[in-house]
Formats: sequence, structure tokens, C-alpha cells
Amino acid sequence: MLATAVNEIVSTKINPNVVPHLHIWEWHIPLYLFLGGLAGGLLVITSIMIVLKRKFGIGPRDQGDGCPCLAVRIGSVLSPTLLGIGMLFLFLDLAHPLYVWAFYTTIQPTSPMSAGSWILIAFFPLAILQAMLVNKRQLRGFNIEPINKVIDWTENHMTIVALVNAHIGVGIGIYTGILLSFFSARPLWSSSILGMLFLVSGISSAAALMLLLAPEDEKPVYSMIDANAIWIELMTVGLFVLGGLTGSANTHGAMMHLITGDINLAGMSYMFWFWGIFIASGLVVPLLLEFLEAAGVHIRFPNVAPVMVLFGGLILRFLIVFAGQTYHTFM
Amino acid sequence: MVIDTRVCVGCSACVYACKQENNVPEGYCRDWVVQESGGEYPKLTMENRSERCQHCENAPCVTYCPTRASHYAEDGTVQINRSLCTGCKACMAACPYDARYVHPEGYVDKCSLCKHRIEQGLETACVSICPTGSLNLVDFNNMDEKTKELLKGKIVYRQKEHAGTEPSLQWISASNKPGA
Repeated sequence: MLATAVNEIVSTKINPNVVPHLHIWEWHIPLYLFLGGLAGGLLVITSIMIVLKRKFGIGPRDQGDGCPCLAVRIGSVLSPTLLGIGMLFLFLDLAHPLYVWAFYTTIQPTSPMSAGSWILIAFFPLAILQAMLVNKRQLRGFNIEPINKVIDWTENHMTIVALVNAHIGVGIGIYTGILLSFFSARPLWSSSILGMLFLVSGISSAAALMLLLAPEDEKPVYSMIDANAIWIELMTVGLFVLGGLTGSANTHGAMMHLITGDINLAGMSYMFWFWGIFIASGLVVPLLLEFLEAAGVHIRFPNVAPVMVLFGGLILRFLIVFAGQTYHTFM
Repeated sequence: MVIDTRVCVGCSACVYACKQENNVPEGYCRDWVVQESGGEYPKLTMENRSERCQHCENAPCVTYCPTRASHYAEDGTVQINRSLCTGCKACMAACPYDARYVHPEGYVDKCSLCKHRIEQGLETACVSICPTGSLNLVDFNNMDEKTKELLKGKIVYRQKEHAGTEPSLQWISASNKPGA
């Protein structure tokens, strides 16, 4: 007669469901994870484009003087810029921002937060160098002595810089997911595929952003990258959901809380955000639109698909961060 | 700490003593009382218990702290160095017991097992106020006869042991009560 038995817990503990200020992470962190993923994705795509063009002659036409095509030049600048903005949100999330220096007084190998703070710093030098090298013609126009010198020293090694950056970009992309997946106390996050999911999502969002920014003749290549990334992302999110559903009661419950959850986020339930906004309008519909466009069908508003992908990527971060916290702690 | 849930009446004196002793700001708590009822009428059971940081021996909050702010003190308790805490909240996400909160002054706070009192040879505020003797401060490496007697033959459990955190708090189950 277990079915009629009851188990009721009453607690005087003040918890986030009663007092919202007790939430662990609010909007800053999902926004940072989105921008971090975007920055990582941009670095991966731009670096690979540089290497492909220089080593194999594949990709849109260079713009003379060794400067790559326009989208790669813009993407290379946006990557460190967006990560910088993301880090600002990370900084604002700290309860005591002035103690941020404490991150850099130690390396704690078991702490993903410590590893992340160092990876973030390691990201900038080469990402900025790449942004400078791909825009060297414009930079030389300013005729600033130290910048000219840096370009002189490194301009013959752009392929190597790009090759290293491709790996750093993958590292940043994975890290944004790993940051959450190490927390075994939060059953929804405790999935090692989260790193891959955030990496592919970052690449698809970055491809969408480059698709928006690229001139007409460069668009097809980014549309192709985007469509492929979305396809892999659909597979990865499928594995993430299946992994949760087939897990222990804990992980199963946490996954159901996300994909069928009725908790309200900005006026809509988790379930609707997940299936309607992230899966349908953030992945499936843009994939169809880009497929149709590649097949020669005229799409009246070609910018709609990439905007939907970007919005979907943002919503994914919000959903995972929030749903991971609103489900009860490890039981 | 050994918490004898057989005699806990859920009065919350421990919560208020802690709040006053440690200047816990309004809207926050370092310890709290849980009342768990279960079973099927008329065979119902109820357990009251006072909960707090478990001062784990393998504490995920210490593992995940990026700045060494969360650390093991010499006496084995888990403590927070406020001057190293950035308030990144990784420890809060890592704690399976949800024992931590962000203090409005900008650091993460939790039960310190009244370290300042123990150093003076006193008991923790919660233990000293408990009217039924449910809360007992125990050194598990050096257990006295009274504690051994208290635990003898009883069903004693630790919370979420399968989380692998080696929690240092032990509960004498209410199922030890006669007739339970």
C-alpha cells in the first residue's frame, strides 16, 4: 500500500523558492555563458577559415595584403570583445567584485571556477593578436609604433596563431559547459555532455552571427557551417535529454523538470521555452530555412534564421542555469 | 555533532540562538529545523531535526572554491576566509546540503560550528540553548563515554552519504523511539 503512504517535509530553512535573493546564479551567468560560447565559436570559425585559406586555398577571397575576408576580420575582433563583455557580467555577479584578484593568487586544479578564471586570461593575448593580424592593413594606417612592431614580428606566423587559437576557442566553448557539469550536487548540470552541447551551440551561434555580418558573396560558407553545427547540436541535445531521462531518479527528475517543467520563466513555462523556443524556433526552423535557401528557394527575410539561432542559444543558457537551480538538490 | 531526533521538539531555539550569536542577517539562516512526517494513517511517523553545514571531510565546497576561501580548519571543520571570498558562489552550487548563503556584506556564509566559542572552551550557541538535549557536540576522534552510551544500539544515520562527502553530522533516527 505504498501508493497511499505520504512523506511530508516542513522546513524552517529560508530557500530560494520563498526568497528569490537566495538563488545562486541569476541572469549574469547565463548571459556570460552565452557570450563566452559565442566568443569561443567565433575564434574557432575564424581560425579555421584562416588555416583553410592559407593551407588549402579553401574559402572566400582574401582582401589583399594578406588580410582575410571581411567576415573573418570582423569575427576575429568580435571574439575577444564579446568575451570581455561576458567577463564584465561575470565580474558583476561576484558578491564581492573588489576581491576578484583572489582568483589570481592561486591555481586550484580541482576547482572549475579557478581553471576558468585562468583560461579566460589565457584566451586574450592570442585572440587579440589574431584580431590585429587580420586587420593589419587598417592598423598600419594608424601608424602606432608598438602595434607596427608586433605586426612586423608576427605577421608571417598567422597560420600558427590561428591553429593555436582554434584549440583555445574549443577550450573556451567546452569550459562554459564544464563549469556547470562539475557540480554533482545539481542533477541537471551533472552531465559530461553539457560541455559538448555548449561548444556546438557556441559554434552554431557564432556561425549565425557571422552569417548576419558577412557580405553577400561570403554568406553561403557561413550558412553551411551554421547548418552543420545546428545538425550536430540537435544530436547533442538529444543525447543530453536521453542521458537525463535514462539516468537515476535524480537525473530523470531533473531532466523532466526542464523538458516538461511548468515553472514560469518570463511568462512561459520551461517546457514551452525548451521545445518551442530553443528546439523548434532556435534549431529546427532555422535548419529548414537554411536548407531551403541552399537548395535555391528564395527566402524573403534571410536574416531571420540566424537571429533565431542566436536567440535559441541565449535561451539554452538561461534554461539550463535556471532549471538546474530550481530543481531540488542532489538526493 | 550528534543530533538526537528522538527528543527534538522542533522549537527552533537553535535557529534563534545561532542568529543572535553570529549576527545572521534577517532573511538568512545558518541552521534550520526540518519536520519530516511519513507513513500511512494510522501508522504515521514524525521526525524533527535541526540541520546545518555538515562539515564534510570531503567537502565539495572546499574542492570547488577557486580562491582557498573555503578551507578545512585544523580542528577538521570547514571554515570560510572572508578576506579571500569573491562571492562567486561555486561553493553554493557544489553543496548537496544547501547549507550556504551570500551574506549581504559580500561573502558566502554558513555554520562555523561556533569556532569562536569552541576555542574559548564553550559549546556552540545551538547546543547550549537546546532545551531537550537533542544537540550534542562530539569529537568523533575522541568520543567520551556519554556519547558512546547515547549512540549504543541505536539506528544512526548520516545525510546523503552516497554523495561521497563524508559528512560529520550524525542523526539518531526518530525510529528509535519506543512504539515507532
